[in-house]
Parts: sequence; structure tokens; C-alpha cells
Amino acid sequence: MKAYSKVLLILTGAWLPVALIILWWNVSADSSNPFFPPLSVIWQQFTTIWFSDQFVINAVPSLRNLLIGYAIAVVVGLVLGAYIGASRTLGSYVEPVADFIRSIPPVATVPIFIVIFGLGMQMRIAAISVSALFPILLATIQAVRSTDRVLLDTTKTMRLTPSQVLWRVRMPAGLPMIFSGLQLGLQVAFIVTIASEYLGAGFGMGAFTLIAADSFMILDAWTGVILMGLLGYGINLIFDVVQRIMLSWYVGQKKLA
Amino acid sequence: MSTEISIENVSMSFATPEGLKDVLDGVNYKVTPGHFVAIVGPSGVGKTTLLRILTGLTKPVSGTIKIQDQEISGPPEGLAVVLQDYTRSLMPWLTVEKNIALPLRRSKLTKDEQRRRISESLLEVGLEGTEKSYPWQLSGGMQQRVAIARALAVRPGLLIMDEPFASVDAQTRFDLEDLVLKVRSDFGITTLMVTHDIDEAVYLSDEIVVLYGKPARVREVVTVDIPFPRSQIETRNDHRFAELRTHVYALVRGVDESSL
Repeated sequence: MKAYSKVLLILTGAWLPVALIILWWNVSADSSNPFFPPLSVIWQQFTTIWFSDQFVINAVPSLRNLLIGYAIAVVVGLVLGAYIGASRTLGSYVEPVADFIRSIPPVATVPIFIVIFGLGMQMRIAAISVSALFPILLATIQAVRSTDRVLLDTTKTMRLTPSQVLWRVRMPAGLPMIFSGLQLGLQVAFIVTIASEYLGAGFGMGAFTLIAADSFMILDAWTGVILMGLLGYGINLIFDVVQRIMLSWYVGQKKLA
Repeated sequence: MSTEISIENVSMSFATPEGLKDVLDGVNYKVTPGHFVAIVGPSGVGKTTLLRILTGLTKPVSGTIKIQDQEISGPPEGLAVVLQDYTRSLMPWLTVEKNIALPLRRSKLTKDEQRRRISESLLEVGLEGTEKSYPWQLSGGMQQRVAIARALAVRPGLLIMDEPFASVDAQTRFDLEDLVLKVRSDFGITTLMVTHDIDEAVYLSDEIVVLYGKPARVREVVTVDIPFPRSQIETRNDHRFAELRTHVYALVRGVDESSL
């Protein structure tokens, strides 16, 4: 019964994308517009390009940058956020600055990183991790700061050490809020991964797509866009699975409440 | 082990928009080790404030709390606390056994000893077999049992409870009261409980401390001379029970007993 309703749920969610693809496929079938080639042709080109070593040349470096940059942002954001959130004085110093930096569109900072790191991989990873850091950092600060007072009193009477209170109580208690920051950070990281390749990169999904479009290889550009869409979707799916596992207690509690 | 705890001349005030408000004024009381003491008084009299001072969570403006003749400066060792709101004092991300294990982190127990403590505590509160459940999967009464098991697992010398049965239904409340009596006879832990339920105070206690006034002082310490073991039916029908509850009721209401 449970499996049945799960299948039903997937079907309900899937019909619209499927319908749109079918629509696109049919409407574009006879297209002679060079900017909007038929989807069937795009798909054929997609398989030729991306089911080859092009994937290793262009997609793998992008994914690697994303992974490394995001991982740095997660670790730094969680650790800094935990300690800043736990300390009232530290928080009052850092938060206005962090709020200001977060207000700068992440992509706009890429030129600064080019000045500092040049045009290599370090620049891209630095840009990704710094832009993803702020949503994670601020969510973690907020989460740690909003620990329930009764919960805190309870841990105080248990005489737990401050670091036990922080890592075993305040951080897990704040996990639902932290995850919203992690999700936002991931989206930003993906955007900056691609955007950072628009400047001075010879390879990467973003670079590939831009170069193809600039050289009027519209078909190739379309395959790049589709690849980015599919990979972005896949990354979100993985994130959702991790979140569902880590927050199963929270979801279960909400369901019963 | 039962701990001796004494409240010495404790006064407390809070800053309010209307100025400094005195809540407690020179509260004195000494708890006999192993006794069960209920603290009662009208709403807003400062019962919970006194309880927070007893746990070391709040510092009094003047006066001291002494445990085994040692002045406390924070939550003391060997203290366990059970609060009214179990949904906020149990960790929803931890299973029952991990909730109970959390305060054991400060002990030097091995993993095996910890596991034994956990199952003993769960057995004591009648929740064996729920180790792997999450607290929110259990009923309110069962969650409060988990909180009690967590308190017992540290083998406290002093147990402090703040309205522990105020959020459960009447039947569960009776069950939990009897559980507390059983814990008392099994372990003899010195226990202080804040309650607004006078019947409950009489049913469970050796002594009842009645707080009264603004600011509050100890109005009277009532000795409950009903022998143990007690039972919900017989004890509550005892005429001494009726006399004591009338007496405490009059004290809490601040009226003369003959006018009731």
C-alpha cells in the first residue's frame, strides 16, 4: 500500500515534465529555425557528445569544482556558524558583516577572485565556496542561537561540557534550519560553478556551452544546457535523499503532531 | 544515595518595567536526606523560581543553596531534573536509549555499564523494549517515563521535578504518581517537586513546603504523617489525607481553615 502510494506520488510529479518534453519534441519536430533545432536532433547530438570522453573533459571538472567548493563551504560554514551562534559577542560582531556580504550577488564576486587567484581552478573553487558559505553560515548561526530554552536548561542540569552542548544538542536541534541554508548554498554553488566558467575557462560545462553558442554551434550549446539541467536535478535529488535521512526524526515528529 | 540539601535565607527579585519586583524573601528550609518534599503555593508565588535556584540554573539575589554543606554555584553533581514539558526536554533526534545515555557522557562508565544502566532504568519505569523508539513515537505518559528513566540512569542523590505530571491525562497521572512512589522506595533519592496539585502533594510527600505572600516566604512546613506504602484508593480515602489536604488548601488559599 505504501509502495503503491509512493509510485502514485512519483507519477503525479512526473506527468507534467513528461508532457512538456513530448510537447517540445512534437512542436519542434519540423523546426528549421537554426536557434531552435528539433528536440530529436538535440537529443541525438547530446548522446554523441556527452556519452563520450567529452563528459570527462567538460562535465567532470565542473562537478569536481562544485564538490570541492561546496564541501569547503559546508565544513567552514557549520564549524564557524556553530561557534559564532553559541557566542553572543562573536555573533554581534560577525553577523552584520556576514549579512552585508550575503547581499552581494554571488556571481558578481567572480572578478574579484580572478584578480586574487587568476583564471585557474583555485579561482573557481574559491568563488564557489565563498558564495555557498554565507547562506550556510547564517543559517547555522540562527539555528544555534534559537535552541529551545527548556532544552538548554535540561542540558545544563546534566552538566554537559559546552562543546557537548554545542555539538550534541544545539547543532542537531537546529538541523532543520541548517538544512535550508545547506540547500540554498548548494543552489548558489551550482550557479557559481557554471558562471565561473564563463570567464577564461577552456573546459567545463559552462565554458563548453558558452564557446559553442559564441561559435554558432547552437546544437552543441543546447546539449550543454540540457546536461546542466539534468546534472543540477540529479544533485538536488541526492541532496533531498541525504536531507530525508538526516531529518527523518523531524519529519516523523511533524507527521505525528 | 540520598543527598542533604538546604535552602538558606534565599531571596530573589526580578527587574520588571515597573521596577524591581521581589519574588522570594528569605526562604529557609532544610530537606531531610531521602525525603520526598512537595513545594506548593498559589500560582505565580515563585515556586518555579525557587526550583530553578535549587537546580543551580538561577542565582539568587541573596542567600545560598547548600548540598551536603557545600554551597552550589551551578547545577550540582548528582542532580537529576524532570520538567513538565517532556516534548521540550527530550531530544527528538535521539532514540530513547540515546536520550538516556546523554547525561551518562559525563560519567566514567564503560559502554557496557551504560547499556546496563539504560535497561535497568527502562525496567524501573516499565518501558523495557522501547530502546530503539524515538520519544515522539510514544504517548505523553511514556515520554515522561523516559524523562524519569533518564533521571534515574545517572543514579542521582537529588531529584528535582517541576510539575512533572501536569501535561498528562488523569489516569496516566495516577500511574506516574505510583511510579514515583516506587522509585522512592527502590532508591530513596531525596526528591523535591513543585506542584499545584494539593492532592498529589499530600499523596506523595513526607513534607509539604507551603510558599505564600508577595514576596513569598515559607508559610508552613506540613508533615505528612501517612505511612508508606500508599495507594491511590486507600490513601486518598484516609481521613488523615482529607485533613491534610484541607489544611494545605487553606494555607495555599490564605484563608482560615474553619471558614472552608
